[in-house]
Amino acid sequence: MIASVSSATVIGSRGRAITVEVHVGRGLPSLSIVGLPDEACREARDRVRAAVLSSQLDWPVSRITINLAPSNERKGGAGLDLAIAVGVLVATRQLPPEAIVGHGFLGELGLDGSVRPVLGAAPMVHAMGSEVTVVAAGNIREAQVATQGPVRVACHLGSLVRCLTRAEAWPDVDDPDGDELDEPVPDLADVRGQPVARLALEVAAAGGHHVLFSGSPGSGKTMLASRLPGLLPPLDAATAIDATMIRSAAGVGLPAGGMVRRAPFRAPHHSSSLVALIGGGTSQLRPGEVSLAHGGSLFLDELGEFSPSVLDSLRQPLEEGVVRVARARASATLPARFLLIAATNPCPCGGGPPGSCVCDEGSRARYLRRLSGPLLDRLDLRVTVERPEIDDLVAGGGAEPTAVVAQRVAKARQRALERGDCVNAQLPGDRLDAVAPLSAPAAARLRSELERQRLTGRGYHRVRRVALTLADLAGEDGPLAEDRVLEALALRVRLGALGRSVAA
Amino acid sequence: MDERAFIIALAGLAHMGPSGLRLLAGHHPPEQAWAVATGRRLSEVAVVRDFLARTKFAALWRSAEASLPSMLERRCRDLGVRALLIDDGEYPPVLAADPQAPAVLFAQGDLSVLQRRRVGVVGTRHATATGRATAEELARGLANHHIAVVSGLARGIDGAAHRAVLDAGGTPIGVVASGHDVVYPREHASLWRAVGERGLLLSELPPGCRPETYRFPLRNRILAVLSEVLVVVESRSSGGSLITAEEAARRGRPVLAVPGSVRNPAAQGTNDLIADGAAPARDLDDVLMALGLQSCDRAFTPIVTLDGLDRCVDEALAEGGRCLEDLLSLTGVPLGVLMRSILRLEAAGLVVVTDGWFERGHAPWGRP
Repeated sequence: MIASVSSATVIGSRGRAITVEVHVGRGLPSLSIVGLPDEACREARDRVRAAVLSSQLDWPVSRITINLAPSNERKGGAGLDLAIAVGVLVATRQLPPEAIVGHGFLGELGLDGSVRPVLGAAPMVHAMGSEVTVVAAGNIREAQVATQGPVRVACHLGSLVRCLTRAEAWPDVDDPDGDELDEPVPDLADVRGQPVARLALEVAAAGGHHVLFSGSPGSGKTMLASRLPGLLPPLDAATAIDATMIRSAAGVGLPAGGMVRRAPFRAPHHSSSLVALIGGGTSQLRPGEVSLAHGGSLFLDELGEFSPSVLDSLRQPLEEGVVRVARARASATLPARFLLIAATNPCPCGGGPPGSCVCDEGSRARYLRRLSGPLLDRLDLRVTVERPEIDDLVAGGGAEPTAVVAQRVAKARQRALERGDCVNAQLPGDRLDAVAPLSAPAAARLRSELERQRLTGRGYHRVRRVALTLADLAGEDGPLAEDRVLEALALRVRLGALGRSVAA
Repeated sequence: MDERAFIIALAGLAHMGPSGLRLLAGHHPPEQAWAVATGRRLSEVAVVRDFLARTKFAALWRSAEASLPSMLERRCRDLGVRALLIDDGEYPPVLAADPQAPAVLFAQGDLSVLQRRRVGVVGTRHATATGRATAEELARGLANHHIAVVSGLARGIDGAAHRAVLDAGGTPIGVVASGHDVVYPREHASLWRAVGERGLLLSELPPGCRPETYRFPLRNRILAVLSEVLVVVESRSSGGSLITAEEAARRGRPVLAVPGSVRNPAAQGTNDLIADGAAPARDLDDVLMALGLQSCDRAFTPIVTLDGLDRCVDEALAEGGRCLEDLLSLTGVPLGVLMRSILRLEAAGLVVVTDGWFERGHAPWGRP
């Protein structure tokens, strides 16, 4: 009277295969779940019992023990309900054991026997690796993305039993149609004028450089930032899977085609908490915004309004491309390699041309202090944007559309990847000399900037990386020309009050 | 023979101080002044007669026999020393404006270095090793910021400062209290030569003049005039550098003193200066601050003419601050080219950048 059913749980963005073992034996009627279930998981016994009974199936009057193997890891969530119910049915001979061979089950049960979708189906299905996957109707897209094998839909426990015993045909599952890449994105052609900001976007997309737009309200910072996803190339296979898993685990719906293919664009509000941004929560360790932006870009509007601790927490993902979230019960490493695109007003009043700021020194300094230091140092591109000229605004058209720029970006990225296996922003400093030597005038120019103390050691390397991206965009080989270095310097504005802590 | 030969000769006469020289040269044409000073003619001007009566005129006449105007003029030419009269066009304006300007100035080297920002670094001849190191550090830093270092080429602090400037490839300005061919102290012969070749070596005395004791305080007033800011690195409680400091203070020049230990006799004078209200010079930034240069963006290299794109950018900024995008669309040149021009203008102090906005700078040496 033993049954064993495959299922899975999720921690962070990783699924973990779980074997649900059900033993139905003699003894006082009871049901106990062992193997470190959490509260939601322990409550499964009441849901499962009600679901079985409302499906006109028998609930055994015996002692039922359910073990969730491996038993030394904590299990969370209600996703194991369906597997437990199937296990009980098999152990009580209401289902033949051979009917579930090679099947994996995933779903939460309602008291009426209905099967409900769960969070993180994609990574769980991936982890189960079963031949046939049975999920709730709401999880169908995620399951299809995560497995090559057939995916069956279970709408109700009763009908599931009939399907498994071939008394009834499985409900039809339509293949995913459409492609995320076909969906329209904001076009760069809408941006009038602002040549420097456009260039910064292009460079950011081509080299993976983090950007800061600084400018008064209405200067189009948000508009510019929202044009970035269109410039980034489609995700490569591995990143696409990661991104899909993360989106599934975070409970953010998958796009039309199922798989996430376009570089994600996340724009959390500045009141976001640290956990919302980084990920966490007690039971499941849900991925945060930085992970949702994996492979794409994270847009922080009003950078100065974010709480300092939230901003500081970005340093690990910016540096390593992952976040490690550890809680008492579990820890997870979530992928988080994103392009940071930040926007800020130069001061609380919004600033503008020199002399137009009405802030007092104190509040100005307080505002900028939040941005200072290590975070700002990691932003390769810092650009001041100002309201476009009226002539540019009213004159229609003329601006380059996203498609044209994206082509240049793709070419430049290709060059960088062929040369160094990574985008330019991630080139280690010690390889710069070999990969991107400076021409003599370019070296002299950087030297004089260093001597004038307008460039820090780190800034020096960052300017070289940006210059390399500019050369890639221009399709230039050989030592970096002085003009590229000059352009890179132009894209790295020293922000007044920040200038003291961050030379450049 | 050039008329100025007489003034050159007059300047070299014993007991002929700067005020006496100005008096004579002011009331008589050069040749007549020479005749009056050497006792071959009686001046009809009362103040000149009074002045001569007060000097030790016997010694004056005796020294006149040894220095012949024609000979001195030739000597100057041989040494490559130019004699500048106060009403010459070439005479440095900064000195000419001073009420105690020397009537004639002997210069070896490049006079245009006086157009740079100038900081005087002076101190005792009996310097401690720490004092010399401080002087060297300051001088090197100033040189790196294209600031000329004015000093007296004496032993100790002066010599250390000038040597450091030369090592750093900077511009030294030396003011000495003897003729250009009378090196004092002797061991500084090569230093004198280097200062004359790579900077400017000034004296108010013609070649052949010996470094008389009373000449040093007089020389110090020229040091004070030429220094926009004077830094006294080390000084005893009474010493020549305190005279320089006093002359500088009298002329409204900021005086800075490097603070030292109270147990260090060579720091007594500088500590006294601080007690009297001189600003302490703790490091290079203090000196740059006194010069009115910001703590960053302080390396200025002057541009003489504004043309082409530079002028275009400069004019675009005439009406007020602009950001890079405006400049780019106004000039219509590629970003790299525009940036090159902006950086050049910035280095010259003609453009100031704050928070990504470009404004006209105050241009320390005027807008070309």
